[in-house]
Amino acid sequence: MPHSCSPATEIRTLRVETVITGLGTIGSYGHGREALAAALAEGRPVFSEVDRGARLHREGGARLAALVGERDLSRWVPPTVARRMSFPSRLVVAAARMALAEAGIGATKAAGPHVGVFLSTTFGSGLSTEKLLRQIFLEGAEAAQPFHFSECVANAPAAQLAIAVGARGPNVTLTQRESGPLLAVARGAQAVREGRVDLALAGAVEEVTPLLHAVLDRFGALAREDGTLAEMPRPFDRRRNGFLAGEGVTLLVIEREDAARARDARALARVAWSGAAFDPTATVSDWGEGHVPLAAALHAGLVEAPGGVAGVGAIVSGASGARRGDRIEARVLRAAWGEAPLPPVLVPKAVTGEYGGGILAPGLLALEGAHFGPTPGFAERDPAAGVTPHRGGSLQIPSRVLLTGLASGGGAAWLVLERTS
Amino acid sequence: MPGTDPDPGASRAVVVTGLGAVSPLGWSLESLWDGLRSGRTAVRPFDRFDNSSHRTHVAAQVDLAAEPGRPRGKPRRLSIADRFSVAAAREAVAQSAIDLDGCRGRTGVYFGSSTGGMFETETYIEALLAAAAGHGKPPALSSLASQQHNGPGDAVARDLGIGGPVQTVSVACVSGAMAIGDAIRAVRRGEVDVAIAGGSDSLCRLTYAGFNSLRSVDERPCRPFRGNRVGLSLGEGAAVLLLESLERALARGARPLALAAGEAATCDAHHMTSPHPEGLGAAEAIREVLARARLDPSEIDFVNAHGTGTPLNDAAEHEALLAVFGDRTPDLPVTSTKSLVGHLLGSAGALEAVATILCLLHREVHPMPDDGTPDPGIRLRLVLGHPLRLARARHALSTSLAFGGANAALVFTRHGDQDPAS
Repeated sequence: MPHSCSPATEIRTLRVETVITGLGTIGSYGHGREALAAALAEGRPVFSEVDRGARLHREGGARLAALVGERDLSRWVPPTVARRMSFPSRLVVAAARMALAEAGIGATKAAGPHVGVFLSTTFGSGLSTEKLLRQIFLEGAEAAQPFHFSECVANAPAAQLAIAVGARGPNVTLTQRESGPLLAVARGAQAVREGRVDLALAGAVEEVTPLLHAVLDRFGALAREDGTLAEMPRPFDRRRNGFLAGEGVTLLVIEREDAARARDARALARVAWSGAAFDPTATVSDWGEGHVPLAAALHAGLVEAPGGVAGVGAIVSGASGARRGDRIEARVLRAAWGEAPLPPVLVPKAVTGEYGGGILAPGLLALEGAHFGPTPGFAERDPAAGVTPHRGGSLQIPSRVLLTGLASGGGAAWLVLERTS
Repeated sequence: MPGTDPDPGASRAVVVTGLGAVSPLGWSLESLWDGLRSGRTAVRPFDRFDNSSHRTHVAAQVDLAAEPGRPRGKPRRLSIADRFSVAAAREAVAQSAIDLDGCRGRTGVYFGSSTGGMFETETYIEALLAAAAGHGKPPALSSLASQQHNGPGDAVARDLGIGGPVQTVSVACVSGAMAIGDAIRAVRRGEVDVAIAGGSDSLCRLTYAGFNSLRSVDERPCRPFRGNRVGLSLGEGAAVLLLESLERALARGARPLALAAGEAATCDAHHMTSPHPEGLGAAEAIREVLARARLDPSEIDFVNAHGTGTPLNDAAEHEALLAVFGDRTPDLPVTSTKSLVGHLLGSAGALEAVATILCLLHREVHPMPDDGTPDPGIRLRLVLGHPLRLARARHALSTSLAFGGANAALVFTRHGDQDPAS
C-alpha cells in the first residue's frame, strides 16, 4: 500500500482528546458489560427462535435471531415512563442510565444544552412501524394510533432519551446501516471536541421483529440451515451464508479527557481517530467490489492516526457472516496492511448477532483485556477472503483497537479507540 | 458555550456554488422559483395512493411523469425518494459547473430523510401481509426498492461515483437542515473538499395516516401563522446544495451563490410531538446560529420559518422569534415555503434552505398565499400574496423544528455583500 495515496476519506485526528467514560449495553447476552464479556469469553452466541406464526417467512428460511431475552428494564426505566415508549426507546434510556452511572455522572450534569445525543439505527422501532402499517392496511387509515406514529420515526429513541435526561444539545440520529454506529460515535466525539457539547451520549440501537426478520430472510441476507450446517453466522468462514439478525443497544458517554480527569473519572478509552468513505460499486442492498479505494482510504487515515497502522493491536471487525460483506471487509483489511501481518481480528457479531452495538462494546472490552473465546461458527478459512478470525486463547492487551463498519449499500466507517493508561 | 478548542478550520468560509430542487412545483430550480414567486400553492387533491379512507385528501405531489431523465442503475431498485434526490443532485452539480473527476474521493454526501423508500416498502408489506392471509403470492423482492432512510443519499453517492464520507441523518422534519449543517462543518474542518448536502422524502401512507392520527393535517392547503390555521399539508421532493470552501470556489472560477454563514442544532427535551410552548429550544438554536454567523439579530433581513400551519408549531416558533428578535419581531419579514409546496418532512429544511438562497439571490422574499387573516396573537410581518422586494437583503435565517423536539437553524449570506473573513 503506497503511503502517498490520496486519502479518499475524512481524516479526523482529533486534537482535543475525547474519552469514553461510561458504557451501557443490552443484548441477547443480557444486561450490562459483564454479561457481554461472559458471552464473548465463552464464544457463546445466545440465539432464540423467531415467532414465525404470522406465516411471513419463506419455507426453509432462517429461524433464529439474537433477541433480547430479559425485557424487564424497570430498574432503569420506571413503568410509568416506559409505557410511553417503544422497546428501542426503552433500551436506549436504560443503556444511557447504565453508562451515566458508570461514568459517575448524576442527573444534573446529564441535563442541559451542553448534552447531546448521537444515535444510530438502521430500522428504528420496527414494531411500531409494523403495527402502524397493519392498522392502516387491515383496519383502515383512521385506525392509525398516534403512539405508534410518533415512535416509528427513526429519531424517536434519541428524542425519548433527551426527554428522559433533559439533554438539550444536538439530538442526532444517523441511519447508515452497518457504518452508522461508528459514524454516531465519531459525530459525538467531534461535537465534544468542538465544544458544542460537554457530554455526548452516543451509540446504536436495533430491534428485530418477525416481519423484519422475514423480509431480511427473503432477501437472502440471513444465515440459514443448509444440509448438515446448522443455522449460524460464520464470519470469514468459507461456508458462511448470511448474518444473524440481532437486537440490542450500546450507549457510550463521551467527554473531554481533561474534564474527565478533573473529576477523577475513569476513562475507558480515548477516541483516537475516525474515518469514513463510500463504495459506489455497491448495490442498494449488498456490498460492492471497491475494496481498493476503501483500503486506500483506511490506510491513509491510519497513517495519520496516533500509532499509525502498526499501532493497531487488534481489529474489532464488523464482519457478520454476510457473503459479500465479509469478503470486502477482509480484502480492505489485507490491502490496508499490505505485506504486514494483520493484528488479531475479533468478530463479536458472531456472538451478538448483527446490530450496531455488536462492535462498540466489544471494542472497549478488548482494550480492557477482556478474554475473547473462539469465534463461533468459524472452521474453515475462505480463500477468497483470506482472513482467519481469532480462534480463542490469550491476546496481548492492545493499546489501540480498530473498529470497522462496512455497510451494505456502500457506506464505510472506521474508528480507532486507544487505551488511556 | 462550554470551553472550546479553537478549530483551525473555524474561520474557513463555506459557500454554496450549486443548487438543485425537485418539488411539487416541478423538477428544477427554475420551476421552484417561478412557483414560489407566484404565491400559488401546489397543495391540492392527489392520487399517489388511494386516500379515500383517510381523514384528509390533499397534498402537494410531484408529477412523476415530468421526470427529466432516469438515474443510472436499475430503475426498479430506486425509490421515488431516490429519484428525487438524484435529479436534484445532478442539477446542483451542473449549476456549480464542478468537475468531480479527481475529487470524488474528497467529496462527501450529507443527506436527510424521514422515510426514505417507505412508499415502496408499504406496497411490499401490504402484499406480503395479504399473501400471509392467503390472498395472492408473496411479492417479488424487486418491488421493494431502496427501502431505508439512507436510500436517497446513497443513491446520489452511487450515481455520482462518490468515494468520500456518506451519511444520512433521520431526525424527522429537521433532517435536511441538520444534514446541511453537518456538511458545512465537514467543509469548514477540511474533512472534505466538496459536500453534496440535502434531503429527500416522498409521500407515503404511513406519514399521511400518522399525521392525520395526530389531527395535525388540514383538509385545505395549510395557512401558516394565520388565525384560521388548523394544520399542515404534506408534500414531497428533494433539494440539494453543493458546498465548498470559498477559496476553492474562487480558485476554480465558480460563482458563489451564498455564504453558508452558520448552522446550529438543539433539542427541546420536552415532548415527542409538541414543541416547547415557549419555543425555548428553537430560540436557543437561533441564538446559536447567529453567534456562529457572527451576526446581531438586527442584521437578519428575513426569515424562512418552519411555519407548518399547525396551531402549536406556529405559536411556539413565534415565541422563539420574539425571544431572539424582541421589539423588532413585528417588522421582521417572515415567509413559509410550506404554504406553497407542503411539508416535505425530511427534505423540508433542505428545500427551505434552497428557497432562502433563491430569495437572497433575487433580493425578494417569496410570498405565502393570501388566504387568511394573520393570527392576532402572532406579531410578524408575514409576506402574503406578492413577493416582498428587499433590495438590500444580505442575511437570512431558515428554521426547522421536528418531532422529538429537535431544532435546527441555518443562516445564509449573499456573497459579495460581506467580507467572509470579517
